[in-house]
Amino acid sequence: MNKNDFDKLLSGAMKRLAKPADDAAVDRVLKRLGGPLPRQHRPVGQILGVLLDWQFAPAWPRMAALAASLAFGFAIGISGIDRTIDRSQGVSSADSGALVFEPESLTGGRP
Amino acid sequence: MDDSDEALMGRVAHGDERAFRELSRRHVPAMLGLARRILGNAADAEDVAQEAMLRLWRQAPRWQPLAALRTWLSRVVVNLCLDRKRKAPWVELEAAGEITDPAPLAGESAEAAEREQRLTVAIADLPERQRAAIVLSYTEGMSNAQVAEILDTTVSAVETLLVRGKQNLRRALADVIDGE
Repeated sequence: MNKNDFDKLLSGAMKRLAKPADDAAVDRVLKRLGGPLPRQHRPVGQILGVLLDWQFAPAWPRMAALAASLAFGFAIGISGIDRTIDRSQGVSSADSGALVFEPESLTGGRP
Repeated sequence: MDDSDEALMGRVAHGDERAFRELSRRHVPAMLGLARRILGNAADAEDVAQEAMLRLWRQAPRWQPLAALRTWLSRVVVNLCLDRKRKAPWVELEAAGEITDPAPLAGESAEAAEREQRLTVAIADLPERQRAAIVLSYTEGMSNAQVAEILDTTVSAVETLLVRGKQNLRRALADVIDGE
């Protein structure tokens, strides 16, 4: 038997032996793989990449709510509505200041 | 949705278990067959195929699409097979079951059938890397370059493995071959 004949014999035999895996064995392996999977190995570079990612995506609805709150507070301060309310309740800024900053009569200590 | 191997691997890298199950369904049969042909042992082959797929899951975030996924998986399977310290017994001829394609054998003589069985046993006795090279080359139909990539060696080393493997087989079958 020459080299080519031997190659043919080998090739034919190997191809005939190359039958596909039986379905039961495949099912067993797939079933075993169907359970809880282990933790994945994440490269350290990927974690650093997340930390160093400066392209933050802002949550636009929250940004809008924050801006609206700022504008609302600024408008109240400018229009003086808060002072009007204080006057209507009989509280003046001088009174409240006296309550807060008046020295204690006995020790002279300040709060 | 793109369901190519590379796309699925991208999803597996982000922890998508459904994509992993799909890849498993796609590749386990072939990997099981490859492991069985190298180890010659069905039970060990199942363990190897399972471990290979679990490695795919664990390593997915690090996987780089430098080679086809099939080639990468074949490499893992071959390495796992070679790592098995004990030499697994080659599957018994009776356990090998019926030959898939009986047509070529139908008209052949009993001597030819026996010769093929002797060849099967001789392949089982080959050193493992030679056996792996012969299985990948002749059964999986891979080129020497692909075999070299899977065995993590050079093409010339693969050629050497194949030549030595075939020399060993010829030696083992000398009485049968020389009789012709």
